[in-house]
Amino acid sequence: MNKLTSLMAVAAFAAAPALAQDAEWETQGLTDDAITIGVMGPFSGNASSYSKALIGMMAYYDKVNEEGGVHGRKLVAVQEDTACDSAKGLAAAKKLISQDEVFMLQGNSCSGVALALRPTIEEAGLPWIVAHAVSDSISTPLAGNIFHGVPTGSANGRAMAAFVLSKPDTENVAIIEHSNDWAHSYSNPARDYLKEQGVEPTAELTMERGQTDATAQVLKLRQNKPDFIIAALYEAETAIFLRDLKKYGMGDIPVMGTAGTDLENTLKRTGDFDTVKNYYVIHSYVDNLDGEKMKPWGDMIHKYYPDEELSTFSFVSIGSAEALVSALEAVGPDLTRSKLIAALEEVRDFDTGILSDPITWTPEDHQGVKGSAVAGFVDGEPTVLKAWGQPY
Amino acid sequence: MPSARQRQLRTLLFWAVPALLLLLPLATNAYTQFIVNGMLISVLVTLGFTLVIGNLGQLAFANTAFFGIGAYASAILSAKLGLPWIVTIPLAGVLGALGGFLASSAALRGIRSYYLAIITLAFGELMRWAYLHSKPLTGGTDGLPLPREAMFGISLSDDTLKFYIFLAVTVLLVKATLNLMRSRFGRAVMAVRENEIATASLAIPTARVILVSFIWSGFVVGCAGALFARHVGHVFPESFGMLHLIASFAMVLVGGLGSVLGAVLGAVLLTALPEYLRAFPGMEELFFGLIVAAVLVAMPMGLASLLRRLSPIFVERYYREES
Amino acid sequence: MLMQLTLGGFAQGAIYALIALSLTVVYRSTTVVNFGHGDFVMAGAFLSYVLVVLAGIAFLPAAALAMIAMFVLGVLFSKGLIRPIRGGPHIGLALMCISAGYVLRGIARMVWGREVLPMPAVFDMEPIFLGDLVITGDAVFIIGTVLVLLILFFGVLALTDLGKMVQAVYQSPRGARLIGLNVERFNDFSWGIGAALGALGGILVAPVSLLHPDLGASFLIKGFAAMTLGGFGSLGGAVLGGILLGLAEQYAGAYLDSALIEITAYVVIVLVLFIRPQGLFGRKAVVKV
Repeated sequence: MNKLTSLMAVAAFAAAPALAQDAEWETQGLTDDAITIGVMGPFSGNASSYSKALIGMMAYYDKVNEEGGVHGRKLVAVQEDTACDSAKGLAAAKKLISQDEVFMLQGNSCSGVALALRPTIEEAGLPWIVAHAVSDSISTPLAGNIFHGVPTGSANGRAMAAFVLSKPDTENVAIIEHSNDWAHSYSNPARDYLKEQGVEPTAELTMERGQTDATAQVLKLRQNKPDFIIAALYEAETAIFLRDLKKYGMGDIPVMGTAGTDLENTLKRTGDFDTVKNYYVIHSYVDNLDGEKMKPWGDMIHKYYPDEELSTFSFVSIGSAEALVSALEAVGPDLTRSKLIAALEEVRDFDTGILSDPITWTPEDHQGVKGSAVAGFVDGEPTVLKAWGQPY
Repeated sequence: MPSARQRQLRTLLFWAVPALLLLLPLATNAYTQFIVNGMLISVLVTLGFTLVIGNLGQLAFANTAFFGIGAYASAILSAKLGLPWIVTIPLAGVLGALGGFLASSAALRGIRSYYLAIITLAFGELMRWAYLHSKPLTGGTDGLPLPREAMFGISLSDDTLKFYIFLAVTVLLVKATLNLMRSRFGRAVMAVRENEIATASLAIPTARVILVSFIWSGFVVGCAGALFARHVGHVFPESFGMLHLIASFAMVLVGGLGSVLGAVLGAVLLTALPEYLRAFPGMEELFFGLIVAAVLVAMPMGLASLLRRLSPIFVERYYREES
Repeated sequence: MLMQLTLGGFAQGAIYALIALSLTVVYRSTTVVNFGHGDFVMAGAFLSYVLVVLAGIAFLPAAALAMIAMFVLGVLFSKGLIRPIRGGPHIGLALMCISAGYVLRGIARMVWGREVLPMPAVFDMEPIFLGDLVITGDAVFIIGTVLVLLILFFGVLALTDLGKMVQAVYQSPRGARLIGLNVERFNDFSWGIGAALGALGGILVAPVSLLHPDLGASFLIKGFAAMTLGGFGSLGGAVLGGILLGLAEQYAGAYLDSALIEITAYVVIVLVLFIRPQGLFGRKAVVKV
């Protein structure tokens, strides 16, 4: 036992320098011509379509590097797979932090993984910009080194509910969702917002991933006759749900979807405009996915990743990378981790030119993006909207 | 059969390995230590699994269920009741054992072979559904974080401290299982696998043998679940889905069905290998699938059979080579 | 509403019936339960996708080609991987099937893991309104195809010489071998038929849903539940079990709680095995010691 305790003391001592925020720690992962950034994401597994977000983000790094980097330093991404699994994600984070010794972290798509990582990364103290996962609990309560660079679940959920209620005479709202953390991160804040406005959802239904039929759910809704339906469903199930809704003669009821879907691909999937004409989605961008203002970003991704198919996920992490670069610029050539964190906390109303809402990080609040626009079909064209009937 | 001298050597070897492992944290960083900790958990999971499918020869796939029960029991007991985590380990084991009892009750009703496989799979998925839909207790889809806690003045988020605790639990359970399998009971387990009716005719209570095997398997895997809860610090329903089953199968088979030594080898090897494959994300299913198929055709008794040929000290007394 | 749910239940149930039937075909002749069958279903769906979308072949010939390809794959799997371990314990056979499934899934994931693939709709027709009841093209096509197939399948089994041979092997493989039937080849053939029928399930589902590598896992469990309900090893029972499961899901989802749809199959498995292990038509599943 004596041996064991002394060994533990030795081990704890060996681990101590990693905790002490000394000079060496401050510039870990930094050289004169490179900043290493750990990029974690679900590059494999059943959520790997989310990794498109990180591809888009790394394309932005490539663009910055091609233009000379930041103060002569290139942004070097060290990619690690989380497979959207908490144990694997934790291994990835520990590898990046204690073996690859990266300067900072940016990325992560799966909220569950991010939640599991939070204590470890908070303890390690290096800056982490959450670039895709939406769960509010990743960045509240405040952790000094963790910044949220996308609209969080509550921002999105509230935006969904606000849009639903902005349609005149909406009283009867129904909710259909998957029973997973992703869907709940949208639907729970939406419920809260509705409640604040005195609206109680009249029907709450679930539809699981992989179901190829929504007859039971749609028939329940038919009895219920909602004015608006909030649907927190993945791409496939959204298409099936909309199809069945139209099939049973309820195609005129507007449906509010999440940022996990987009109008263009939903239309492609259902192959029928009538089915999607009343579908609205959270759309965190300034323009349609194939709109003028988004085209340069799509071109940028294709320049560095020519075979990448674009989806709504492709663009979501770029805004936070822009904010990072602006903070790095502001710090100057004499970069340290503390200085970067301080500079990130100075970011105010940063217009990314891609996200519909600006990024603001303050020492008190690290949830940078407070809102989202909505997209819907207006006169047959996908249109970004502020509220019902109001273009962005 | 090993001679008396060889038996001594074997005992020495058994204790030398964990003794040497005590020094391991000097050579690891937080990442490699985390992986090693994961290996210890896999060892227990594989051990519990091989006991039922290898030694007892029952096609029960309730392993992920026991594991999840253990992990959730540990998380709920420490987060909701405020018990120190270390105390939750045996309690998680007991709840895992209860899961084992349920699985054995299916087997004892005569639900065997493929039926047993299917009903235990269903049991595992029903448990996962229960975690998802009992939000007040399990946190639902957000999962349940374990509270921050310290032991001996060191935070339990420290991987080195966790390593020593995991190691102690693992050595204890491996030794206990070895002793169990070397006892009269162990012989009865093998006899049941070879011919249940003949065994019953020898006045060996086969039902009790099956019951105890399942309960012990559930206990070991339940304890592993408690370790896993602390290992990740947060339990989610997704961690206990069917997707994780193939890795368990591969560990059991590569090590050698029904061998304690094999369980250890298989778990260590197949936890380490995917880490080396990190550079090729998405190959895991293919990798585990091909390994299992290859082992089944080329080396059905796994690595343990190679070691047995190497030296008699690796012979596990009541394990028969062919099955 | 009841009528509508019943129609939806029949359409879903038809797919489950097909999958349960294909599992039973393999089980009856070889006593192996294919735990990787869900991924065979997925593979069928992806093959038809490749042929329709990438090679530009029309849906029907593409479906036929995909089934033939899966037949060949099933035969090869039986010859190459099942035969060498046939004498071994059940556990080895079960694991071999599982690993084959994972390999198929791994391949699908490697190629299409990061995209969710839409299949163009094939049976586009205006829905028919009968009062409250809506009859859609999908439902008609799925139920129709499965019905034709079942008539063909059971017709061959009951009326032809081939069918008599099959029944002979089912009754006594040893007896069949004695009268000169090549049982080994027959087993390979059963694996092929099983794989092709399962693939058809995937092909029928593909146009009404989206394709992803994890598509098969849920169908495997539905297939098991249908088989268990109908009685393990009974061909007719598998079909009936599938239909009943489809109906049960719809009714439970609409009248009780939509969260129950996902676990209907599991509950069916547990209840049937504990209460009436022989299912509706099967032989007793329990072993008496």
